[in-house]
Amino acid sequence: MVLAVAGSAIGLGNFLRFPVQAAKNGGGAFMVPYFVAILLLGLPLMWIEWTIGRFGGGFEHSTAPGVFHTLWNKNRFIKYFGVIGIFGPIVILIFYTYVESWLLGYSFFALTGRYDACTTEQTMKAFLDAYKGVVQNEYFGNIAPAYVFFVITFALNMSVVYMGINRGIEKVCKLGLPILFILALVLVVKVLSLGTPDPAKPENSVVEGLGFLWNPQWHRLAEAKVWLAAAGQVFFTLSCGIGVILTYASYLTKKDDVALSGLTAAATNEMAEVVLGGSLIIPAAVAFFGSAAVMEIADKGAFNLGFVTMPLILQKMAGGRFFGFLWFLLLFIAGVTSSISLAQPAVAFAEDEFNVSRKSACVLLGIFVFILCQPVIFLVDKGVLDELDFWGGTVCLVIFATVEAVLFAWVFGMDKAWTEMHVGSDITIPSVYRFVIKYITPTFLVIILLTWLYQDWASVIFMNDVREEHPAKAPYIYWTRIALLLVFGVLAGLVWVAWRKRRTNKVGE
Amino acid sequence: MNICGWIFMTLSWGVILLVFVFCLIKTLRQKP
Repeated sequence: MVLAVAGSAIGLGNFLRFPVQAAKNGGGAFMVPYFVAILLLGLPLMWIEWTIGRFGGGFEHSTAPGVFHTLWNKNRFIKYFGVIGIFGPIVILIFYTYVESWLLGYSFFALTGRYDACTTEQTMKAFLDAYKGVVQNEYFGNIAPAYVFFVITFALNMSVVYMGINRGIEKVCKLGLPILFILALVLVVKVLSLGTPDPAKPENSVVEGLGFLWNPQWHRLAEAKVWLAAAGQVFFTLSCGIGVILTYASYLTKKDDVALSGLTAAATNEMAEVVLGGSLIIPAAVAFFGSAAVMEIADKGAFNLGFVTMPLILQKMAGGRFFGFLWFLLLFIAGVTSSISLAQPAVAFAEDEFNVSRKSACVLLGIFVFILCQPVIFLVDKGVLDELDFWGGTVCLVIFATVEAVLFAWVFGMDKAWTEMHVGSDITIPSVYRFVIKYITPTFLVIILLTWLYQDWASVIFMNDVREEHPAKAPYIYWTRIALLLVFGVLAGLVWVAWRKRRTNKVGE
Repeated sequence: MNICGWIFMTLSWGVILLVFVFCLIKTLRQKP
């Protein structure tokens, strides 16, 4: 189970989002807030989610609506907040599967030398745009190759989920994670051995790249946006606040250790992110382009860094095709271990609350998600993907985490919570975390939420930025939001039906 | 990279590695 959670946590966030966030926020300025956020937000949330998941599992609930209800059974509405724990993973799964399929495609293209002719940022970008079907050019005439790779990836993901947790998800993580670590290690050794690729520019070196990430910049600690970015990265990277860990932990018994499991999953993720992920793109990019250029590249986003900059860098190395293949394969495996976990809450919900068999639940979810993936694929340049990422991958995470932290520490009660965390535990959590979980973590989360509301709510809700900068995207974003509301409404309706059914059954007995 | 950078990186990697190895050993020692 620890491997399944670690597999869920280790994803594209470790190798793409982390370097982008670090570079955008000034490298060394980012790392101090990042570690503080891990200690005050990431670890407590890990422990909270593992503990409430196991607690809810004892009442035969594997998903957030049921788990939240067991924590606060006097409140009739709390289960509807739990809907976020099924809705969020579905929304992320919809766009994540498509991005994951690009990685499969690119690993194939790297090996076959399909993008060898692209030697500049412009041509590599043109290659990516044509692959996505945004433009037609000499590289791709239509979206068919992207669609084929999407279907393969989708089928692969759903068949793993179809096989179940023991025979499917755990086996894939058991095999995938060691492969992922070996691939990352090979790439890190290759990058660290680059030295100074151009002796005429001694300032562009791997050591300077590491310095860009690790030289502390104390004066920038006063910038609120750096703290917010670090907290956001911690959320995203640990898969906290999605509801996935909660579902996995619900299959544990009282004899199983949640304190050590939470710490192990977090430590494995940090190994992948800070030690391996931090030693790949940034040092390599600084060595070839210089630190000033890296900040500009990072501003163009994670996709640009992963699909444009990194292939260009790898091409410049000896054995570029092979290392390009390794890079995209590494990201693809990281993507698979994460996306299979995203399907689990919805499948578990159907199994628990409606007694649907696992296989039928997988088929139903597969059809539902496949249909919803279509707008992401065909309207990729209309902002649909970004919109799903924003609501599913950012807003839902913060709201869900805030609710579960408050529920755990204040409604369930800190004394009961602390005892529950240590049931069956091999380690003792430092007692300072009693204070952190009760006061610091919820306060940190509320600050993040309020700061976002204060700074951005109006422009996001009324789409001011979209209307000004990309007016053509506005109708697509508007319809995406309506579709998201509908999906949320359907899931909330299903929760209502499930509880009504339970009540009727109780009265009947 | 300046001296503070080296210290910060070595300390961070060291702590993460230590915690990772500690968790790994503890987890492997657990009875199935």
